[in-house]
Amino acid sequence: MAEQTIICIGCPLGCHVTLKVDKDGEIEALTGNQCKEGREYVIAEFRAPVRVFTATVLTEAGGRLLAVRTDKPVHKGQLKELMAVVAKLRMAPPVKAGQVLVPNILGTGADLVASSSI
Amino acid sequence: MISQDIDVAVIGGGPAGLAAAIKVKEVGLDKVVIIERGEYLGGLLDQCIHNGFGLFYFNEDLTGPEYGQRFIEKANDLGVESLLKTMVVRLLPDRKIAISNDKGFTYLSPKAIILAMGCRERSRESLSIPGTRPAGIFTAGTAQRYVNIEGYIPGREVVVLGSGDVGMIMARRLTLEGVKVKAIVEVLPYVGGLIRNEVQCLHDFDIPILLQHTVTEIRGQERVEAVTIAKVDKDWNPIAGTERMIQCDTLLVSAGLIPENELSRMAGIALDPVTQGPVVDENMQSSAAGIFAAGNVVHVNDLVDNVSWEGEAAGASAAKFALGKAMVKKVRIRLKAGENIRYIVPQTIARGEEIVLSVRVKEPAEHVRLNVGELRSQGMRAVKPSEMVKVSLSSKEWEKMGSGVDELLVTCESRRG
Repeated sequence: MAEQTIICIGCPLGCHVTLKVDKDGEIEALTGNQCKEGREYVIAEFRAPVRVFTATVLTEAGGRLLAVRTDKPVHKGQLKELMAVVAKLRMAPPVKAGQVLVPNILGTGADLVASSSI
Repeated sequence: MISQDIDVAVIGGGPAGLAAAIKVKEVGLDKVVIIERGEYLGGLLDQCIHNGFGLFYFNEDLTGPEYGQRFIEKANDLGVESLLKTMVVRLLPDRKIAISNDKGFTYLSPKAIILAMGCRERSRESLSIPGTRPAGIFTAGTAQRYVNIEGYIPGREVVVLGSGDVGMIMARRLTLEGVKVKAIVEVLPYVGGLIRNEVQCLHDFDIPILLQHTVTEIRGQERVEAVTIAKVDKDWNPIAGTERMIQCDTLLVSAGLIPENELSRMAGIALDPVTQGPVVDENMQSSAAGIFAAGNVVHVNDLVDNVSWEGEAAGASAAKFALGKAMVKKVRIRLKAGENIRYIVPQTIARGEEIVLSVRVKEPAEHVRLNVGELRSQGMRAVKPSEMVKVSLSSKEWEKMGSGVDELLVTCESRRG
């Protein structure tokens, strides 16, 4: 059985919640939270710790960079791999905010979209 | 040249100014102009490419540019005028503004003015860190502009001084760009910024944070070569014998923000020594009649959503003033900061009115009771200086207050012991 600590980000309390996880990856016990919402957050964060990925892309015209994001959160373990892909991209203007640049990037199910316009 | 017949002039085209100008237009006034010294509207939002904006205002998770664009488009649709690359060089208490741009210098006499100049970062100089003066020392916000807008990486090995939100966000951003962030050094015994940034910027990327530490010396001649850090005691004095050196080529300073009030001072507007912004009433009106203020120029906010709401409040009041409607004078109540309260905005309110107070606590505390005079006493699980407490008072709650009272004491006291 493994133990894992997740800090709840729901309120300024920042509870350090300890999870006891069995060998099949199921939660056996959860302690340290002070509310129901915190419990739900920690379970969700344990099962799928996801983040919106944001970065910038160089433009072929030079000058100001293009801000990009994923249109939905991706697993946090994939953020660095996504960055490696995005670092190689070059976009030619015009690009409009919301435009899809890389559909289903790295098979995450999320699209990489422009979050600013150039 | 711009017409002289202006209803409301807004100084600053960031989130506070945009929301204020939009509101003035929505109320039905025709001539609203934003005066912005930068090249574009939106203020700092364009360089804040991370998400987390608009969670409250739009109920959506937007990036800075996305959040800003919504307001810029709305302002354009409504016909808000803007003067870009235009500096306000003088502000007079009788609502005269001197502006300077490539067309020259002129005076404007708007019926009302909204101050929305925002804030600036505390720099290395204002922290008085000993050592040499090499290249490689940046405020976190300057580094953010280089990395996210201009496309320059400020260095390869970085130490961040201060754990404010911008510092933590830049630590993550630089790590993703392949820079080694060696440590974040924080003088306080707790992280300065939001808890979600502590988890998602630092823990996610294994960036070490050293609490109760500070930088005691910067080394290097041409370029930063290392910094010396040390543990501090409770009065922030470095403890002898705890010094150690960290090799790095860059130091980012993320040590707080200061409202930018040179113009307010010039106009003789009363400033609050704690917030360092104008003292405002429930209409967001400053001590000068017809001059209103909103956003980080009043007090440094942690969420842009709150800045937008404040801008709207100031916009609605400025429109009212410009239309010649009297600002209703009622019994004035002063809000006084008591136990564990750093400040309350607005500083004075009118009796009997619905109002949302922004309350900033001094120290983190758990299981507390937040009291607003006799009017309100609410239990709270936790408070932290980095997370603003919003208290909405209803008009009904005022009935609890005796007549003849002209002050409300706001306190945040422990429920235990």
